[in-house]
Formats: sequence, structure tokens, C-alpha cells
Amino acid sequence: MTAPAPTAGAVYDRGYRPYEGPRGGRRAATAALFRTSLRRAIGLRRPWRQKVAPAVLLAIAAVPAVVNVGIGYLTRDSPAEGFSFFSYREYLGVSSALLLFVALVAPDIVCPDRRQRVLPLIFARPLTGADYALAKIGTIFTCVFAFAFLPQVVLYVGQMLVSDGALDYFTDNTDVLVKVPVAAAVLALFYAALGVAVASLTTRRIVAGASILGITLVSSTVSAILLGARRGQGPGDGDLAALVNLLALPLRVRDLIFLGRLHEESPLSGVAGGGALAIACYVAVVALCIGVVLARYRSVET
Amino acid sequence: MSDPAFVADASVVVEDVSVWFGQKVALSELACSFGPGVTGLLGPNGAGKSTLMRAMTGLIGVNTGRVQVDGRDPRTDRAVHRRIALVPEDEAVPAQLTARQLVRYVADLHGVADPDAADRALGSVDMLEAADRRLRGFSKGMRQRAKVAAALVTDPHVLVLDEPLNGADPVQRVRLTDLFRRLGAEGRTVVVSSHVLSEVERLADRVLVLIHGRLAAAGNHRAIRDAMDDRPRHVLIRADEQRRLAAALLDLDTVAGVSLSDAGLVVTTDRAGDLALAVAPVAHRLGVRLREVRPLDDSLESMFRELVR
Amino acid sequence: MSSIVRARGLTKRYPGVTALDGVDLDLPAGRVGLVGANGAGKTTLFRLLLGLTRPDEGAVEVCGSSVADDPIGVRSQIGYMPEHDCLPLDQTAADVVATFGELGGLPVRVARQRASEVLDLVGLDEARFRPVGGFSTGMRQRAKLAQALVADPRLVLLDEPTAGLDPSGREEMLALVDRLGSFGIAVVLATHLLDDVARVCDHVVMLDAGRLVTDAPTTSLLHQTGTVTVDVGPGGAEALVGRLAARGLAVALDERAMAEVTVAGDADLDAIRDAVAELGLPLHRLTNRLTSLDEAFVHRADQA
Repeated sequence: MTAPAPTAGAVYDRGYRPYEGPRGGRRAATAALFRTSLRRAIGLRRPWRQKVAPAVLLAIAAVPAVVNVGIGYLTRDSPAEGFSFFSYREYLGVSSALLLFVALVAPDIVCPDRRQRVLPLIFARPLTGADYALAKIGTIFTCVFAFAFLPQVVLYVGQMLVSDGALDYFTDNTDVLVKVPVAAAVLALFYAALGVAVASLTTRRIVAGASILGITLVSSTVSAILLGARRGQGPGDGDLAALVNLLALPLRVRDLIFLGRLHEESPLSGVAGGGALAIACYVAVVALCIGVVLARYRSVET
Repeated sequence: MSDPAFVADASVVVEDVSVWFGQKVALSELACSFGPGVTGLLGPNGAGKSTLMRAMTGLIGVNTGRVQVDGRDPRTDRAVHRRIALVPEDEAVPAQLTARQLVRYVADLHGVADPDAADRALGSVDMLEAADRRLRGFSKGMRQRAKVAAALVTDPHVLVLDEPLNGADPVQRVRLTDLFRRLGAEGRTVVVSSHVLSEVERLADRVLVLIHGRLAAAGNHRAIRDAMDDRPRHVLIRADEQRRLAAALLDLDTVAGVSLSDAGLVVTTDRAGDLALAVAPVAHRLGVRLREVRPLDDSLESMFRELVR
Repeated sequence: MSSIVRARGLTKRYPGVTALDGVDLDLPAGRVGLVGANGAGKTTLFRLLLGLTRPDEGAVEVCGSSVADDPIGVRSQIGYMPEHDCLPLDQTAADVVATFGELGGLPVRVARQRASEVLDLVGLDEARFRPVGGFSTGMRQRAKLAQALVADPRLVLLDEPTAGLDPSGREEMLALVDRLGSFGIAVVLATHLLDDVARVCDHVVMLDAGRLVTDAPTTSLLHQTGTVTVDVGPGGAEALVGRLAARGLAVALDERAMAEVTVAGDADLDAIRDAVAELGLPLHRLTNRLTSLDEAFVHRADQA
């Protein structure tokens, strides 16, 4: 027996439903901004062009690791001559792919917000300037960390597989498990702060990108010139000019982490307290950059 | 009876003009003319108003047909070019100039001899006080007024303005409206395009409506509305004994329907003129007091709405 | 009814100009029109309400919370639709609105769902999956309104929402704003166009050079003048004027050939009706002449 035909009908108003559920505060908003920026940085949900660059750069950064492991594998029985395998320390942060990535991506997640005047909308949300800074710097930090760290993982796993005994390799190299992430973080923080700070100063992505590259490379050149002028003179305080080199600065801190001292080839190694000065310089640069970012987003034009 | 798209003493004549940009046809065989007084140019976004304004003033050429201003081609004839002025909507102004500098520059460009012309033009738009401030610091409304002053300094015979009241505050809107009406009354040909139809109603006695690059309507807006006689008109009547009046009105041939509401009776009719003739006598016969009789679709807005539908 | 915005002695100065000067406000929760010239203080007021700047003097409360004490909390109850273009151009409308929902504190899934509902409300259908960069002015305005509504605010601040819209677009936008009132969302609408205010707002606030000039319900500004306008067509106006003058009524012809009759009482209305009927004239219009908002504004601005 079928059910009787319905005699009642109703129309539902699809107009507007209020929201009574839970709302996040600053933390949720900052996390949302971080997620959005990160998606944009690695090209998710964007046309293919935007995905290519990060992927290519990651590949470039990873290639040496693969090559290293590959050759190690191929020559495992007969040691190769003339090919020096690089250490974790040497490999970390050297790739210019990292700098290119920051010069490409930091402006891309920072400048359009200002240029397209989205900032007033963002700051009409429960979000402060400091939260915005945290989210953007956090995005670049995450990306650079990943780019610096993942190839190291490839290298580590590869070496482990190629070595005579995986477990032995593990116990012999536990310090690497700490030093690599810390050094990668040091590097990532430096690039993130610098990249976002420079990008926050302009509305044009190209200008920001060029400036990021420019500042680092010019500082490197200037430092070389200043040091070159001192050639022939013995090591001394004049070598402090090496501190000007922004490109090398995070690498020096990296050396300190891995070796406990500056590398002998570093111009600073002859200077007393060179290591401490390098760290102080690093902290100063990072603090300055963060300060710039906070200042830029403190008062926003509506 | 003459076609309201044309005026008798036209200074600007548009003859079967078509303009296209690549695949997009902006104007399609448009034929109309403009004369002394203020004419409103209306249409949805993308209808071709800006294109028409540029073609009229010789700023762009036309693909077919021709435009004549005082019998000459505004694109090539320098003499007539001096008597035309166009104030486009969004074009940038050189930000580092002051208002006075901008107006003087335009005056020099057109060889205006009178040294006081710039100040007069600035005065007519209430910009004398702010004349020496840089355009960079101006609000949208002030920039628009500066552009109007620059257009006026050449004492143009034909003045074409695209959204001239854009960004202006209510006081300025009234002043500018008065200014344009005055210019039209002086015999100049003033063409104003605006989306704020209630203002166009106050400004212009004659309107041209463009839709998709073609002329959709022309003339006095009430007459245009009357011409749309396949669409019924609605008239609101407030009276003291609504139902009695409603019943009596329903008896009339001209009335298609009556609806009762708190605001009054709304009478639907196909022949507004006949209804108007009947209302007072019917109310008088019944002894019903009339408090208000108001056509609900008399405005430029409602005419436009019907046209664009 | 408690006020949605309360301000006392609100003052904000910038170098060279006082944007707001000792403004006291008690805005009811409804649809409030905020009128004034550029530089009159409207944008500054919005920034102060959002806690983006601090006042030099005075205090302001929104939805019962002090902005100075809890700007973040206040912001989570406000939706803001700026006048300028402000949407990221390379993202789709759906993504943009959902993202701003998340930024407003909504959980991710809720944000996406509400984004979809709100885009329905403002009338963006398939267009929502296209990048904002390709939108027409009307579509952009709607998308802007959608992002202001997505986090279910108690108050929305709309800055010139009908700017750049053609007449149909304007009507649709004003109809949307009208509906917001029925959803229980308070609206403050900043605009130059008094027509928009007259159509949609129940309360009007006028600012001039940073000072409050008017703060009143819309209806109180539109009052009867005691004059009735009669339109009997161009041909009959003079005859009507003659007939009414003969009956002792004060009547004149205005510039548009309409008779303006001073009406002292109901008997005068009947006199008009009878005169029109006797003369066999068409009665196109018989209306009380109300002051318009324009007149009210200009009048007060002149006084200030």
C-alpha cells in the first residue's frame, strides 16, 4: 500500500543564514593567511606557470644530492678519484636556487597585497600588523627550509643506503640529524626576513625581486673589493669588511653550527672573536628586517 | 512629426556612424544630432556612450558614416576643434600640476588670448580657492571639476561631459547642475552622460538612450515612456474613500486593474492620458477627496528600466 | 533600541587638516546613510570604527564594545566594503570570498560554504569561478559586498557601493542593501548620492569638514511644505491657475508649467479637484511638495 499523497508544501527561504558557530580569533586568522600565502608560493591552485618555477628550483637544489649519491653508488666498490664528495655542511644553502626562489616568491606574496590595495580588507579582519608579518615571513621560512632541508634528506638517505652499514651510518652521524635542521632554519630565517622586508618596501614585484638579488650580490661584491684592497697585508681587523657580505653571512653561522668555528678559508677566521661577530651581525640583520616589516604594516592606508 | 533623434538647429550631426574595435562593434549605424541646450546621454555600461562622445569630438575616427560639427569634420578641421571640449571620465591628469596650471596649459594649447579666462573658468566651478594646489592631492570630485574648468577655458561651443558629477558632494552636484543648465541656456550644445538618472532628469530636457551601440530611444523622457504603449502604466491615487473610488475606476475602459494597498490605490492602465482625464470627474461625482495622484513610472529611471528590460 | 555605533567627542587630526572634530554619534541599528564631501571625514570615521587608527580625542564604541579596548574583537563583528578596487585579481571570486571568510575566523569548510551562499545572495553565478581580474564593475562591487558579508557581521560599512554602476546595477545594489536590513545586519552607507540615501536609509548622518551637521531619521528631513503641485499638461495650466485664483487660492505657475497651490486645508484640495473636473483637464499629477534631501543638505551646509 503506497503512502498517501502529501497535502502540505513549504517554501524555504534560501536568502541568508546567520552563523552561530565557533569563530577563531587572531590565531586562526594568521593561520589562514599563512596557508593562503603558502599555497600561492608553491603554486597550488594557480595556473601552471606559477607552479613551474618553484618545482624547477627545488629540482635544481636537489640535483647535486642525487648526483652525489649516484656517483657514490656507482663507485662504491672502486673509489672514484678526483671527485670530492661534499659534506652536509658544504651542501647546505650553497645553491643559488634558494636565493632565486626567495627573489621570485617573496615579492609575489607580499607586493600584490599592497599594489592591489587588498591590505585594507585584510586589516579589517581580526588580524594585526604583527600577525601579517608573522604569516608572510613564516611562509617564506617554510619554503626555504623545505628547499634547504629536503635535498639534505635525499643526501642522507642516499649516503645511508650506499654505505656499508645503514645502522652504523646512523650512529656515526647522529649530530647531522640536529645540525642540518638547525642550520637550515638559520638559513631560512635569514632569507625569509630579508626577502619579506625588501618586498614590503615596494608595490612592484620586479623591483622587489631585483632588489633582493641586488642587495645580496652587491654586498658580496663590495665585501670582496674591500678585502681585495687588503691583499698582502696580514690577517687583522680590516678583515671585518667581510661582515658586509650578506650572501655569506648565514653560511658563516652555518659553519659555526657544523664546525664550532669559522671555516679556515673564511676571511673572518683570522679576526679575534670573528665567530661571535658573525653571529651578532646575523642577529642584527634579521632583527632589522623584522623591524622593517613590522613598521611597514603597522599603519595601513584604508 | 520629426524624429526626436534629430534637432532642427543641430550643431553636431552623427550620420550613420559605425565604430568597431577589432571584433567589438561599439557603435552600429548610429544617426542622431545634438543642438543647443543640455542633452542627456544614457545607457548601460558598455553601450557605446564613451565611444560616441569621443567620435563626436573628433578624438577617434569612425569606420563608416561621418560626424559633422558646425558642418565640418572635428577630426581634421582645426578651427572647429577649438570650439569643442570633451571631459572624459577616468583619464589621468598630470598630478604634479596645480589646477590653475592645468587650466592655463589647456588655454595656451588652444591659443586662448584672454589672460583672465583661466580664473573665470576656475571660478565657474568654485575652484579659485584650491586653484594653486596640486592635482595629486585632489579628491575625485575636485579632479573632475578641474577638468571641467580646463574644458571651459576655451569657451567651447560644444561641451561633452562623461560623468561630470562623479565624486562630487551634494552641494557641488547642485552647483555643477546649475552651471551646465546655464551653459545650455546660453545656447551651447552640452551633452552629459551619467548613470544617476534623477540628476539627468533635472539637468536635461532631452535624452538619447544607447543600448549595444544603437539608439534605443530619443527625446523627452515622458514622451518616450508614453511611446512605450505596449507596457502598462501605474498611477498611485490616495483618496479618502479608496474602495468606492476603486470600484468606480474599474468601470472605466481605460483601467486594466486596480490594487489596494496601505499607500493607496495603484491603477494599472494602458492609456495614461485617458485615465488622467477621468480621475477628477469621477472623484468629483462621487464626492471622494483626492489627496494625491502620482504616476509611478514617470521618472527617467522607470523609463530606462522599461527600455533596458 | 541600542545604538550600533556610539561616539563621544571623536576627534582625529592629520597634518594640516582636522578630519573629525568633536563628533558625537548615536547610530541606530538599521540602515544609516553617511553623507558628506570628500575630506568631510567619512573615510576617517570608518577607519576609526575598524580600529585602524586611534582618535586624538574622544572614544567610540561599536556593537557595545569599546574600539580602543578591543579593536580585534570589534573587527570580527564588522564587514567592510571599501570604495576602491581591493580584490586580488588573479584569484576566482569563490576563492577570494572563502579566503576572507577564513581570515574572519571561520573554519575552512564553513568559510567555503558561506562563501557559496553569500555569492548566491549577491547574484554572482557562474562568474564566481572566474578570476576577479576579468569582472565588470558591477560584478566587482558584488564580490566586494560578498566578502564583507561572508563572516556574518553584525555591522557592514559600505563605502560608495553604487560607484561606477549603471542604473540597473545601482538598483540591484540598493535592493541588496535594502535586504541586509531584513537580515538583521546593520548598515552604514557612505555616499555622495542623496538619492541612494533617500531610497534605502532610515537614518541620515551628514558630515561637513569634520563636523556633524545632521543626525536624524530620514523622514524627519523630508517634510511637507504646505504646497501642492498640480500637473494638468501644458495646455490647461493657465486656465487652472485662473480658476483657482478666482476661488481665492494662492497659486502660481512654476518653470515647468505646473501649478503650485498653497493648501490651507482639505477644502482647498476639493477645490482643486473640482476645478480640474469642471475644466475637463487631465489630472496627471497631484502631489505634496516635499523638501528633498538635497535641499535639506544644501540648506544646512549653507548654515554651517
